Amino acid sequence: MEESERMRPKPSTPILLSALLLLGAAALYPFFVNVEESYAIYFLFLTFVHVGLAQGWNLVAGYSGQASLGQHAFFGVGAYLTAMTWKAGWTGYLDPLAMLLSGAGAAVLAILVGIPLLAKLRGDYFALGTLGLGEILRVIFTQGGELTGGPVGLLLPSSAYQSMRPYYYLALLIAVAAVIAVWLIVRSRVGLALVAVREDEGAAAANGIHVLKYKIVAFAVGALFTALCGSLYAYYLFHIHPTGFFSLNWALMPVLMTILGGIGTVVGPVIGAFLLTGVFELANMWLPEIHPIISGTFIILVTLFLPRGVMGIGTRFDVRPRWRKALAIG
Amino acid sequence: MRVSSMLSGRWTVFGFALLALMLWFVQPAEARKKKEILIGTNLPLTGILAGVGIEQRWAYQTAVDDVNKAGGIWVKEVGKRMPVRLVVADDASDPGKAAAAVERLIKVKKVDLLLGGFAAPFGVIPGCITAEKYRRYYHTSICLIPPWLEHNFKWSTLFFFDLGQACSVPYEIWNSLPAAERPKKPALIMEDTFDGRAFAGIFRGLAEKYGYTFALDEPWAVGAKDYSAQIIKAKSQGVDAILIFGSDADCITFVRQMKENDLNVKYMHGWKGTWAGEFWKALGKDAEYILCDGFWSMDFPFPGAKELGERYHQKFNKYSVSAGAVYALCQVLWDAIEKAGTLDSAKVRQAVLDNEFNTVMGKVDYDERGVATFVSTASQWRNGKQMTVSPFEWTDYKIKLAPPWNAR
Repeated sequence: MEESERMRPKPSTPILLSALLLLGAAALYPFFVNVEESYAIYFLFLTFVHVGLAQGWNLVAGYSGQASLGQHAFFGVGAYLTAMTWKAGWTGYLDPLAMLLSGAGAAVLAILVGIPLLAKLRGDYFALGTLGLGEILRVIFTQGGELTGGPVGLLLPSSAYQSMRPYYYLALLIAVAAVIAVWLIVRSRVGLALVAVREDEGAAAANGIHVLKYKIVAFAVGALFTALCGSLYAYYLFHIHPTGFFSLNWALMPVLMTILGGIGTVVGPVIGAFLLTGVFELANMWLPEIHPIISGTFIILVTLFLPRGVMGIGTRFDVRPRWRKALAIG
Repeated sequence: MRVSSMLSGRWTVFGFALLALMLWFVQPAEARKKKEILIGTNLPLTGILAGVGIEQRWAYQTAVDDVNKAGGIWVKEVGKRMPVRLVVADDASDPGKAAAAVERLIKVKKVDLLLGGFAAPFGVIPGCITAEKYRRYYHTSICLIPPWLEHNFKWSTLFFFDLGQACSVPYEIWNSLPAAERPKKPALIMEDTFDGRAFAGIFRGLAEKYGYTFALDEPWAVGAKDYSAQIIKAKSQGVDAILIFGSDADCITFVRQMKENDLNVKYMHGWKGTWAGEFWKALGKDAEYILCDGFWSMDFPFPGAKELGERYHQKFNKYSVSAGAVYALCQVLWDAIEKAGTLDSAKVRQAVLDNEFNTVMGKVDYDERGVATFVSTASQWRNGKQMTVSPFEWTDYKIKLAPPWNAR
């Protein structure tokens, strides 16, 4: 009972109000600060990008049970598609069409790659397979000649930059869209099927669930959001470089954030993204030489003491009297 | 009921935490009376480039200490001499993190001006782009000129060698040898990366001009660990000289495997990977006779060069062929601030463009594009020290060709 509720949270007025309040605060925030001078705007932009990435991985690993280690492949593909279409003159700067094309392109790639991978591989083997995908794509894009810029990558016209404001709002939009998409999927029959597949593939198949189809849906939707983040980040950096955009960091960060916040929950990746981005940024800011030690220690402590992530705090430190717990469960 | 109340509780806590975070960020920076000049830099203190980052940091910090010891920099606008403080942000050898580091330096640390990071794709270009966004002057080096020029930056300047000059160095050295000693079958082994490809193209173009043909021309993968295929191929082709571009770890592996496979070449010249003290430490006597590129030498006949080299050696117990370029970058900046009389980014950059500067690298003069060039050097490892071979006019040392492994 408790587990299924955790997986399929019911909408309640306090949650919706809290969510709307936070969203409103985030949307209005740029009107109260100097966007060009505020580091908070950059921090939130980065965090929203991380929310999109974490939510994409959460859908694949948290709900369908397929731990992908290849999200950096979709991040890189999203960035490159955006840069290549801009270079070719088909799209422009911060062009929604380019971003959608990048997302769609990565989703198609996820379907094409997912069919053989998800049909044949499970668990650790699937993780290794997706890890290989990222590395293969990095080499392909490094050797891609003029189309991909080879090892030099693609240089975009940085003079197009005007303000941090559109980056902030686009990142917020991606984060919100990712949260809503996961929430809607989880509450739908698809979500139920995904959880069933995650818990027991054989039992799910015996009950008429098309296991491969649902896994691919989750994989493709996860890839779409990851690529949207890659696309926006390409517009931010203006230099799309195979080492940077196919870096394993883009695969590991969403994993850490989701696990830290609470895997298989809608809110967990959001909390994880805020917490981890905050810890990384603060450690980087004040302890530039030893920040990996601080961040690493933080991750170890959380996984040791909060294996279910921050969302598991309530169950671990539930201080209500026993009779109230019993009533609540009942 | 329980789940929703628990979640709403969490949401409230999360919301308050988020608001607190925002408020913390919104707080106006404490009105700071201008007491010092804040110079920010993004350096690779962690990640694959951490080794060079530490060296670069030392050179920057030494220049800061030196100018402070001399009483600071006279800033006319403020009407006094001001000390300089270096603020370092780690870019973790990653382009995304380099951009983040520069964002932090500008927005949180409120630095007045910026000194550049290391390597075009990892630190310098992302740093320049971010500085451009916020119109803060980014005074940099360690970046190939063509990709930097492609961005048409208006808020940065670049001090680096010209690729054509750097790639002509080995040919100039070969042609300075008696005809019988010149390589007959050189090999070109260039790392398959951003910089490696750029170097390879120029080397190929210049080979024809200088009358050489490569017996072997192959890219090599970063961190491949086993280069025996290339080595055996080189041996079968009778290769007698190697021009190699790669990381220090890969170059060390390559030389070890050359010795194991008894590949003897009389001339081996490396770029990027053979100049670090670690190269000598790892290979010891096997590094003898190998040449490395460099930006600078303590043997340069410019004021302060020898002293800087000695201080570096005292600190790290090794020699540097790059510290001077980074130190000179600071010398230019200090002088430009004084000439501009202000810390305004646009005016300091203009002062850099409008003036000539005397440094441990010699005279530095920027063109209208914001580029100043220096001469790329070649040095040969001899008993743990890099002996300057080129430019010929600044050295008395003559290159020694390598004997076979079994004759050393």
